[in-house]
Parts: sequence; structure tokens; C-alpha cells
Amino acid sequence: MTESTAEVARGRVEFTGGRGELLGIILRGYLLMIPTIGLYRFWQGTWKRRFYWQNTVIHGEPLEYTGTASQLLLGFFFALAFFLPIYIGLFVLSMQETDYLLLGYVVVAAVLWFLAGYAIYRARDFRLSRTLWRGIRFDQRGNALAYALRRFLWSLAMIPTLGLIYPWMGASLWRYRWRNSWYGDRRFDIGGNWRLIAGAYYPAYFLNALAIVATAAWIGTTKDLVAFGELTIPGPIGLAFCVGCVLILAFSIAFYRTRVASRMLSTVSLGEAKLTMKIGTGALFGQFVIYLFALIGLLIVLALAALIAIGSIYAAAAAGGQTPDTEAVVSMFSSGTANVVVLIVIYLIVLGAFGMLAELILGLGWWKLLARGATIEKPESLNTVAATAEDRALVGQGLADALNVGAY
Amino acid sequence: MEFTARYQDGKFATVRDVVCVIDLASDPVVLAILDAETREILDRWPAEASYLLHTRMMELRIANRERPTGARLAVTGLANMKAALNVLPKLSGHQRADTARQARIIVLATAALLSVIVAYLYGIPLLADRLVGVVPAEWEKKIGATADAQIEASLTEGKGYVVCDTNPNSVANKAITRFATEAFAGLNSPFAPTVTVIRSPIPNAFALPGGTTYYLSSLIQASRSPDEFAGVLAHELGHVYYRHGMQTLIATSTTGLLVGFVLGDMTGLSVAAAIGASLIDNRFSREAERQADDFAAKTAQRLGFSAAGLVDLLDRVAKDDAFSRALALFSSHPLTDERRAFLKALDTHDPTARPAFSTEEWQAIQDMCPPPAPPPLPPIVHAAAN
Repeated sequence: MTESTAEVARGRVEFTGGRGELLGIILRGYLLMIPTIGLYRFWQGTWKRRFYWQNTVIHGEPLEYTGTASQLLLGFFFALAFFLPIYIGLFVLSMQETDYLLLGYVVVAAVLWFLAGYAIYRARDFRLSRTLWRGIRFDQRGNALAYALRRFLWSLAMIPTLGLIYPWMGASLWRYRWRNSWYGDRRFDIGGNWRLIAGAYYPAYFLNALAIVATAAWIGTTKDLVAFGELTIPGPIGLAFCVGCVLILAFSIAFYRTRVASRMLSTVSLGEAKLTMKIGTGALFGQFVIYLFALIGLLIVLALAALIAIGSIYAAAAAGGQTPDTEAVVSMFSSGTANVVVLIVIYLIVLGAFGMLAELILGLGWWKLLARGATIEKPESLNTVAATAEDRALVGQGLADALNVGAY
Repeated sequence: MEFTARYQDGKFATVRDVVCVIDLASDPVVLAILDAETREILDRWPAEASYLLHTRMMELRIANRERPTGARLAVTGLANMKAALNVLPKLSGHQRADTARQARIIVLATAALLSVIVAYLYGIPLLADRLVGVVPAEWEKKIGATADAQIEASLTEGKGYVVCDTNPNSVANKAITRFATEAFAGLNSPFAPTVTVIRSPIPNAFALPGGTTYYLSSLIQASRSPDEFAGVLAHELGHVYYRHGMQTLIATSTTGLLVGFVLGDMTGLSVAAAIGASLIDNRFSREAERQADDFAAKTAQRLGFSAAGLVDLLDRVAKDDAFSRALALFSSHPLTDERRAFLKALDTHDPTARPAFSTEEWQAIQDMCPPPAPPPLPPIVHAAAN
């Protein structure tokens, strides 16, 4: 085999979607969420997934997302059934004596943590089983409860080991997820073990620990503190230490995510076809930096908008000739209800703007990095994959939505 | 009448270049799918069962209801796409029908959610009222005790209340206790309210679940007559009698559930959930304030004083205090004029009846906490205030 045919035999992944298109989907979603009291979020989510899926072109064929918004809506109703008992339990709990109360909250937190694991697995199942490539469906089998239990028990072991056991936990969960993932009648396999995670995890862990200890030690020993209004904050050098800590944290997150994704995903195989993933740390860190500047820009825009709004309220209060005073401005808001509505609107605008920025820069950015970093060895071996029976049992991933876990 | 496409049969993960030819002669009309090179017929799709899928720009993806769910024809290129739409004229019609179906689902779901919200807004006082009857009085007392400790810690920064008159047998304390007992006489309430006067620069009074009631010294100093004092005290006792603290707890919890549902975050971590809950609870508390006013008016009829003064007192202290004026933006109290009119209408007590507090008693109550007050504490406002 010559080198050029070896090149041809590798399947490439491209991403063809533009940021503007995603922006359009998000903005339209926000607009339609107003008259639908938020219910449009299920449709917005579906459109976003269609965008991500159909623009991911693997070896010449795009992915296809076949899920519908009604499924997500229905899933959310099912999630309610999970939550009502917890909610009522919390309510009864809040009436107990303090000792029981504390214990009760710990139990509820543990239940929610366990449920989060279940929800993550079901959400992955929902997405995979609604993903088509070349007309064949992916699937997640295995048992979501078993996965949740595995994740829960490992989490318990994390506490006494101060998180040092994480590489084993991560490897165990990766294996469970991938070895129960299917493409048609063919099962995925993963060769990665804890060493691949540890190689990225421990450097990041100790670097951050060192940075925090050093900062605390510097501020603690030199008493490098200054008064800032009523607050006591670290002095210039101490502050520089703190900024350094944040930078190290951001860098180590970028390092950890790209390194683990590159190494672990490069051990994923589907029959003879093998995945290779190469993502540079700098690429992700660069996105973090762009995100930071975009955030600053957004804050400035929001502040300007707030100033204009306050200015026009002031002008409205001044209308009628007399000098505006606080009294007049306050009287415009003397109805408590109108005030709360204004607060909610401001909150939703801020929340929506930040969510949009995160999606446009971090969400889309990470997806693109994954797509462009991936190549597939022996893609032609996938031609023989056959379809399996439909998996229509899933009603949605409502629990994941309700618990705020999962992405895309 | 033909176009080229990439074809997947939905059975195996292969892609073939094909030519699609419409066969109008057959019944029903079919779309013949031919291998682009060999012209071998791969499949014959019933044309009527074909439909368009959502896909990226500059591509059509056609599926068929009578074929495996993964079976596809992917058409690219402008001329080719036009040809496909000409050959299968009903494709876009199907897509429009699907959009209309989605719109119907959204409208229906929104209408359903809206009706739940409206029913909730109007039903919550009723609901809380019914539910509170199920909650044992012992529970409510426990909750009151917990809340009491928390409020005391936050109001005084952990230093504890300064009780104005620690002697329960003093003239003032005996008069206040007698008033509370008479107000509750014959009402069959499971609670025996206790009223404590504490030193504070904040002109306020509040009742906790279970009957513990606090009257802050500044509010006594601001009272111009014993009737004003008695009116506010009776109003607070009304909160105890109707178990409003408990009702608020129930209302807040169920509101949180509803707002969480609307926003999709059931863990209630979002700020919007809290604000939204307070918006709805605001409505609920106005109802509670009206009930407490009603209680004060009826108590005033029985005990022989005029309750209308309570509105004047609250109005006066609210005007005097810049901070509470700012907070009045979020006020849970019904409009002052409305309240005054309501109380005046019920103000039918016998003017010759013995007053709620004798002149000596009222003097003693005023002397419980003589000014000057200690340095100001950060004002704290909570649900059961006033």
C-alpha cells in the first residue's frame, strides 16, 4: 500500500456550521420563549442539536439528529414525577428540628447526586439513540441505574482520598459508557485506562494545589492585606497571586480536557475502525481567553444599556417641568409587582446574554475542536454495519434537563 | 424527470450514488432508485410516502414512511434540489404540515401551562389555607422556634435580643398578656401567643409561626395612642390565628415548584425562581394582610378600641424611615387608603366600653423601653414583618 492510499483510507471529520447560524437559532429561541412561557426551550434545544449534528460531516456523510421537541417535553413531565416526592420530602424536612434537618439535607443531596448520574447516562442514551450516520442508528445500552451506582460509590471514595482516586473513577466510567455504546449491530470498545487520565489529572491537581497553598502562605505570612471600603482584600502582590491562581486554573482545565479527550478518545474503536483524536491545549485556552474578553465586552454593553434605561426613566420623571427627585423616580415603581417584573426581565436578559456567549464560544468551540481533531482509521470497515431494531422506549431526557446536567 | 442523490437503505451503513427516476405510470406513483453506474434498480419508493427532513443548508434529505427509519436520499446542488422538488411536489407540503403540527403542540402546551399558572395564582390562598389545616400545631411551633433563633441571630448579629421588661408581672407585661389572651379567648386556636417587647431602632412588629410575637420598642415610641398600639398588636395576633407564617411557607414552596417548572430548573438554584416566587407570594401576602386586618377589626369590636389607627401608625413609621420606604417598593401590604377604608367600615365598637389599655397601663407600656435607643442595627425584613 502506498502512502497516498493510506491517506485516503483515513476518514476525516469536518464541521461546516457557522457561528451566525447558531446565533440565529439561539436568538429566535429566546424570542419565542417569551410568549410560550419558556416552553419553547425544548424546540430551541432540538434546533441547536440539529445544527450541531447535521454540520458534523464524518467521512463525507453528516450526522443526523432524529429526536423531536415533543419527546423532550414529555421527558420533562416524567422528570416531574421524580421530583415531586423529593420536593415534598424536602418540605416536610424543613419543619424538623435542626439536627434532623442537617442530616436530611445530606441525604437529599446524596439522592440528587445519585440521580444526576442516572440522568447523565439517560441523556447520553437519548442523544445516541437519536443519532444517525449513513442511515444507521447509534445506541447506548447498559443500565443507567448501574452506572449511577458506580458513579455514586466512586464519588464516596473521592471524599477520604481528597480526589486523588479520580483517575480510576474516570477510567471506570469511560469504560462503562463506551463499552455499552453501539453503532448499529457493532459495539464500541475503549482501551484507555487510569494511566491516561492520571497523566493529565495529577499535574493539574498538584499545580493548582501548589498555587493555592503558595498564595495562602504569602498572604498569611506577610499579612499583605489592604482595606477596600469595608472589605479587607489582599494587597497588590497578593492580588497578583490570586490572578495567577485563576490563570493556572484556566490553563490546567484546558490542559486536562484536551489531554484526556485526545488520549482516551484515541483508544476508542468500532470493530476495525479506530478513532484518533488530537486537540492542542493552546486551542482550548485560546477559546477561554476569547470568552473572557467577550464577557468583558458584554458587561460593558449591559452597563451602557442599564445607564440608558435609568437615564430615560429619569427623563420620564422630569417630564412635566419640575425637577426630578428620588421621590418621583421611586413613585414610578411604587407598585411592587411592576418592580419584580422589571427585576425578572433584567435577570433573564443577563442570564440569556451570558448563556448565549457561553454557547457561541465555548460550546461550539469545543465541538469544533473535537470534530476537527478526529480521524478514523479504516472507515471502509464500517460498510458492513447493519441496523438493529428501533429503540422507542425512551421518552426523553427530562431528568437531565431538570437537574441541569448534560450538554448539547 | 430525474435527479441524482446519495442513497442509504437504512439496513447497512453504506452510501451509494444513485439516480432517482419518477415512475408516473405505476399505481401508486413510485420513485425508482437506480445505481448511478450499473443502472440496477435498488428500490422503488412510494412517492406519496416520501417526506423531507430538516437538514443543513443546500441539501435535501428525503425519507420514506414505508421504508426503514434510516433510509435516506440526500440531494445536493441547486439544480438537483430543484429537480427533486419538481419530481416530488408534495415534499414541501409535508414539511409545512409538520411545522403546523409543532406549532399546535406549542400553543396547546403553552395554554395548558398558562391555565395552571392562573389556577395557581387564584388558588394558592385556598390551597395554603386547606393544607395548613393538615399541618399539626406541634410542627408549626417547632418551625417557629427554629425561625425565632435564626431571626434573633441575624437581627442582633448574634448578641441576642434586649428584652425591655424582663419581669412578667410588671404592669405593662401583664396588660399585654391580658390583651393577647382576651384576643384569643373563645377562638379555639391551638396556639397561646406570647408577646415580647424588645429594644430596637427599627419600628416594626412581627409574628412567627406558632405564636411567638415581637413588638419592637421604636414602634411603641411612634404610637400616638393606645389604640394604634393595640391595633398593630391585634393585627400581628391575626397572623398567628390564621397561621399565616405556615401558609407562607407552603405557598413559597409550591410557588418554587411552579416557577422551577416554567424555567426548567427544578433544583431551584436560579435567582429567577426566587424572584418569581416572591412575585407570586406577594399576591398571597396581600390576602394574608387583609385577613389580619379583619382579625384586628373584629378584636377591636370585642375589646373596645378602634383598629383604624393601625394603618396610621404603619403609614407614619414607613414615611419616617428612608430604608423601609425603599423597601416599600416590594411591599406586601395592601394600599394604605384601601386598608384604612376597610378598617373604618368595621369600626363599630361601643365608645363607652372599657378601653383595651387603661391610661396607667399605656403609660407603663410606653415606659418599658425609654429612649435613647442603642446604636442602629442593620434593618432586616422578612416575610412575616408587620
